[in-house]
Amino acid sequence: MNELGLLSNGVNPVLLIVVPLALAFAVPLIGFISKKIIKYIPVLAFLFNLIIAILLIPKVLHQPIIVKIGGFQPPFGINLYVGTVGILFSTLIALAGFLVSIYALNYIKEGPKEKYHILYLLLLTGATGVVLTGDIFNLFVFFEILCISSYALVAYFGNRAGIESSIKYLIQGSVGSSLLLIGIGLLYGQFGTLNMADIANQIQSASSPSIFVPMVLMITGLGVEAAIFPLNAWLPDAHSSAPSSISAILSGIAIEVGLYAVIRVLFTIFGASNFLMFFVFLGVLTLLIGEMSAFSQKNIKRMLAYSSIGQIGLIVFAVSLNTQYGVSAGLFQMISHTLGKGLLFLAAGYMIYRTASMDISSFEGIGKKMPYTSLAFTIGTFSLIGLPPFIGFPSKFMIIKAALAKEGILFTVLVGLVLLGTVIEGAYFFRVVQVIYFKKGNGNQERKEAPITGLIPMFIFALLIIFIGIYPNFIIKILNSAASELLNKIDYIRSVLG
Amino acid sequence: MSLELLIIVAFGGAFLTYFLGKISSKLRNSFAVLNALALVVIIACLYGQTMEKSFYFGFFSLPLILRNNVLSWFFAIAISVLGALSVIFSLSYMRNRERTDFYYLMMLLVNAAMLGIVFSGDLISFFIFWEIMSWSTCILISYNRGPALAAGMKYIIMSIIGSMAMLVGMLSLYTTYGTLNIATLSTLVASSSHGYLLFLLIIFGITFGIKNAVMPLHTWLPDAYAEAPSPFTAVLSGMLTRMGIYGFLLIMYVIVGAGATLHLGHGFFTFNNILAWLGAITIVIPTFIAMLQNDAKKLLAWHGIGQGGYMILGIAFGTSLGMAGGIFHTLNHAIYISLLFMSVAAIQYRTGGVRDLNSLGGLIKKMPIAFIGGLLGICGLIGIPLTNGFVSKWLIYKTLILNGAPFLAFAALIGTWGTILSVYKFLHNIFLGQLPEKYKNIQKSPFSMRLPIIVLSFAILLFGILPGIPLKVINAIDVSLGFKSLNVTLWGIASDSGTLNTINIFAVVLVFGVIIWLLFKAGRKAPKVDQYDNYAAGAAIPKGKYHYTVDYYNPFYRMATPYLKDFVDVFYMKIAKWTQNLCNTVRRIYTGYVGNYVMYIVLFMAFLILIQLKWSVF
Amino acid sequence: MQIWGIILSPLLALVVGIFFLGLSRKIMARIHWRYGPPITQPVIDIIKLFSQKSISHGTIFDLGLILSLAGSFVVILFLPLGQMCPLSSGGLLAILYLMLLAPLGIALSSGEAANPNSSIGISRKFLLALGYEVPLLFILLAVMTHYNTISLVEIVRIQSTTGWSFGSLPLLLSGIAYFLILPAILGIRPFEIAGAGQEISSGANAEFGGKFLAFSTIQHALHEFIGISLFVNLFLGGWSLFGILEPITNTVWGVILGIIVFLIKMLIVFILGLFINAVFPRFRIEQAIKYLWKWPTLFAFIGLIVVVLVK
Repeated sequence: MNELGLLSNGVNPVLLIVVPLALAFAVPLIGFISKKIIKYIPVLAFLFNLIIAILLIPKVLHQPIIVKIGGFQPPFGINLYVGTVGILFSTLIALAGFLVSIYALNYIKEGPKEKYHILYLLLLTGATGVVLTGDIFNLFVFFEILCISSYALVAYFGNRAGIESSIKYLIQGSVGSSLLLIGIGLLYGQFGTLNMADIANQIQSASSPSIFVPMVLMITGLGVEAAIFPLNAWLPDAHSSAPSSISAILSGIAIEVGLYAVIRVLFTIFGASNFLMFFVFLGVLTLLIGEMSAFSQKNIKRMLAYSSIGQIGLIVFAVSLNTQYGVSAGLFQMISHTLGKGLLFLAAGYMIYRTASMDISSFEGIGKKMPYTSLAFTIGTFSLIGLPPFIGFPSKFMIIKAALAKEGILFTVLVGLVLLGTVIEGAYFFRVVQVIYFKKGNGNQERKEAPITGLIPMFIFALLIIFIGIYPNFIIKILNSAASELLNKIDYIRSVLG
Repeated sequence: MSLELLIIVAFGGAFLTYFLGKISSKLRNSFAVLNALALVVIIACLYGQTMEKSFYFGFFSLPLILRNNVLSWFFAIAISVLGALSVIFSLSYMRNRERTDFYYLMMLLVNAAMLGIVFSGDLISFFIFWEIMSWSTCILISYNRGPALAAGMKYIIMSIIGSMAMLVGMLSLYTTYGTLNIATLSTLVASSSHGYLLFLLIIFGITFGIKNAVMPLHTWLPDAYAEAPSPFTAVLSGMLTRMGIYGFLLIMYVIVGAGATLHLGHGFFTFNNILAWLGAITIVIPTFIAMLQNDAKKLLAWHGIGQGGYMILGIAFGTSLGMAGGIFHTLNHAIYISLLFMSVAAIQYRTGGVRDLNSLGGLIKKMPIAFIGGLLGICGLIGIPLTNGFVSKWLIYKTLILNGAPFLAFAALIGTWGTILSVYKFLHNIFLGQLPEKYKNIQKSPFSMRLPIIVLSFAILLFGILPGIPLKVINAIDVSLGFKSLNVTLWGIASDSGTLNTINIFAVVLVFGVIIWLLFKAGRKAPKVDQYDNYAAGAAIPKGKYHYTVDYYNPFYRMATPYLKDFVDVFYMKIAKWTQNLCNTVRRIYTGYVGNYVMYIVLFMAFLILIQLKWSVF
Repeated sequence: MQIWGIILSPLLALVVGIFFLGLSRKIMARIHWRYGPPITQPVIDIIKLFSQKSISHGTIFDLGLILSLAGSFVVILFLPLGQMCPLSSGGLLAILYLMLLAPLGIALSSGEAANPNSSIGISRKFLLALGYEVPLLFILLAVMTHYNTISLVEIVRIQSTTGWSFGSLPLLLSGIAYFLILPAILGIRPFEIAGAGQEISSGANAEFGGKFLAFSTIQHALHEFIGISLFVNLFLGGWSLFGILEPITNTVWGVILGIIVFLIKMLIVFILGLFINAVFPRFRIEQAIKYLWKWPTLFAFIGLIVVVLVK
């Protein structure tokens, strides 16, 4: 551990953003040398990021790192705030990015591959930037990088459905971005600063109506990407028509980063704890609508997409409880959703590839044809339902406990509704599992697995799901520290402004 | 022998069996049997030891506690023996079926999870094992494909509802008392307010009521029993469903405690009384519905529900006699119902999966061991004296009558008569009557099927004639739960208000049986004749058709069929339909028209502003 | 005393049961203005049947019948016969369940016969049993609740001090209900459905010949004895006779007189039942169940409610 600490001393968190960004721009250049090695660039980039992020964890847990770009003291200049939340998310992003890029090695075979890899790198760079930045305009910029590359990636296959949903996504995303930008502009006009800590500091003494408008604008703007009901209408289309590797990232990373931004804005900048009760209801509503819409889906990717909405609702519910335990639970649920949904989309990707159909009924008997992929899919579903010994169970456990710790019959009822969502979720996921294993497939019964580059990421995801499911204490310390960072606005301000 | 070893053997063995199956099926089979038997041996060695051991498990600093006491030992030994027998039974039943590795894995996993449940000393490990049991059960139920899928679906939905209820109850305990250790909870909980205790009992009652199929939470059971692979149905009906009884015992008499449980509510509407009445309803309606069934496994399944009602009645009263009756009935039921399912399975195995009661007959001549299993099984189910079911039912009836609950006793007793009718039909239509021509050449069941049948048949008689063997243990459970000790002897129960002595019943039945048998022998010897050498008023006997099975109780069916429907199931199905429609409606929010979507964004903002204007929350 | 009881009471029951069979034929004949067979006719029949040829359909065909006869004898041991009660463990509940052995044995035996007539007979027999068990259970529960014991011996003993149940007001309705279902229990007309000779060739007896029929007849005789003696024990105070026998209880004479009183009571009940048998035609099975589930059940149910309320 000591050596690790020494190593991490020399590591600058800026690398987490700079390296993938630089590599993204380097891709066309490298493409001149050899077309073949392009696809390994994201793998290397995110492996690097993953190592850096993990190395940083012990240090960050001790104390947040403030990186001053260009040496300007905050509130002047742009700074990165590498707190536990930031490092938690960047680790998650790097992990998912790494695994999915391995998956993409074989999965992305046709289409403009070069562009895929550039956009993929940019998407995750944007995501990392959003979670690490301490400057609100910088956040907007990274957010746009994230969004724009995902619009393009949704349309990657160039088919009609892809382009249509990409445009829908683009329209809604742009509306959101504009609102966000207006909100930021209003804040800037009012406080004359773009530094998040500085704004947060000044907002405490500002009058409420004048900051209410920017808050609404920003929350709505960020809420579009965060897929909060009713701002999430782009999601089912976009997630279902993107390539599965991208769906995994969109579901597992993009919307959670959006949610991170909402939480950061709400908790740290505005400190809007009065408003959170509204988000508790909104979370439950999002959950129920997501699960109910997923229930009658026949298209596997749409089902998974709607289920993501449900999961986002659950996370919003947990975080809005505004307690230490609740926020930890919400963050835990984010991790469990990233792992679970990532696994599901990856597994579903090859199942769709094999059957050439997204129809659930076409998966009949696929358990025989692709046993490992099917097993991975099953583990993912079990985890999302919240069955032990998978990761979904401890996270759901924490959420329910956090909600029950809030006294009052209202929360008991809300818990009931949340669990109703789980029941619906269980119903549709078990239906898919039954189709996979217990319906006799027709036609070609030959056993043909996904390629090894597809199986490895699934295997690692599954392993993590089971490992953390059995041993949640593995991450509980980080979660607690992250939760207190989000809840302690004062500490945040103090550590940036000194 | 330690508990962690037991759990490791149970779970590790399950997975090892799977991988061994990839090498050779022989190796897998012998290992599966060995593993199941090893569990029996380990548990047998744990007899009489009380231990509690916590393991740091890294689960939110909640320790995983394994403990052994007389209650868990009792359930564990039943689970492991039954598990071993049904694994042995599976050897030939599952031969040449697909995915046998997977089947054995799941069988052993369910077994391991059940052992985990009874040995857990805290609610979190209880819940984890409970969930593992639930999903692996669902997978096993769905194993047979076709209609089994719907059955599995029904099961898992109800099971998830149950688990969610338990999750709420468990976490509410955790937030209130800060511990999930059962032993600690049992000292803390009893002093809570009545409202809270009632909440706990109801919320856990939903979980365990679903598992134990207490009406009106029973609807998953008939399909699940009928569609699951038969050796697994034996486990499912025998012990798995009765995890609900274990759960009821745990929440009512361990966690909340007898003293507190028995005084909740006013007048008629006490928790126990309501539970007892639900038990009574659970006995009567399913037992009569069973009469209408033409599917052997479904018929037994409905009895499975009905018998669960007896156990509930027994334990609901909270007297030491009733508790003994309820717990003993759980054991007895496990023995005879799994025996019956195994007999049916043997028949299915030889006839190619036939379980339709209208197309069998006369199989006693071909499969005598299966018949003996069936006969003793139904005798136990009815509660014929000298079979185990009699003793436990007697204890329950006596409790009810002496506690001034004659109407509940009526429900329990009339259930017995409904049982006789349907199980005689079961036995008659399969084994008695004329043997159809197509079954002329079937073989008797293979040894690996006969062995479990013989063992269980023997157990029925043993516990029927010497009920003291299990009652000694059950009495210890009674005492450990804080009830008065009973005066148990090897052959019954002695008490002031009427004793039971099975050995003298046995003696007189034996003596008279022998005397009459001698008389019978003294009479002129009766030659054995063929099944076609029959009285038909002079007419020729139609082959394969001189058999009365279809609509066996025709006059009754005509009277009762309209009233004997599973209305609860119909109602749930309607709810499911409504939910589906609702879901479809909700889905339409996402219209696919981007203009609407942008409008949603605007509306959302407008709504936020409205909230601010109206309530000024910010 | 107990040993004597174990030996004597089955013999007594056998004799009395067969005597009742003969008597019933005689009385029925007289009601029909016929002369009728001698009272000893059933004995002659049984001896004759024993020496006749018979066929067997299999092991269960034999064992079932043996079981049913043994079961009937066992029940008799558990019924107090006057003051003589050889066995009492388990009380009324054990009796109730032991009474299942006989029909089950017959059902197994005639089930193996592979004759639809037998099967239909059994089906009817069980349905009829279901019919009368509903009121019967209410009645038994009323009695057990009233005396707060499950022991039949105890019930008889209490009656000898406090008077017959039939005379005590709370149990009156139950007693009436029992009397109303007694023909169904005994299987005589109008409830002679299971063994209807003309329709289904005597039902369960269809395949019984020779010694099988002899056994079946004896079983029938014992069954009638059990049905009536249960009624006498439960409602007519067993051996007690308005306290007259009270001073000589537990003496040999007391026991003998007790048995005589008991048998006389049985005889009276039996003859009353015979009158019903003689004048009624046979019910169909649905009619029987409907009847049984209407008036007797209503009486028995109200009887139980009264008992519960009075307590």
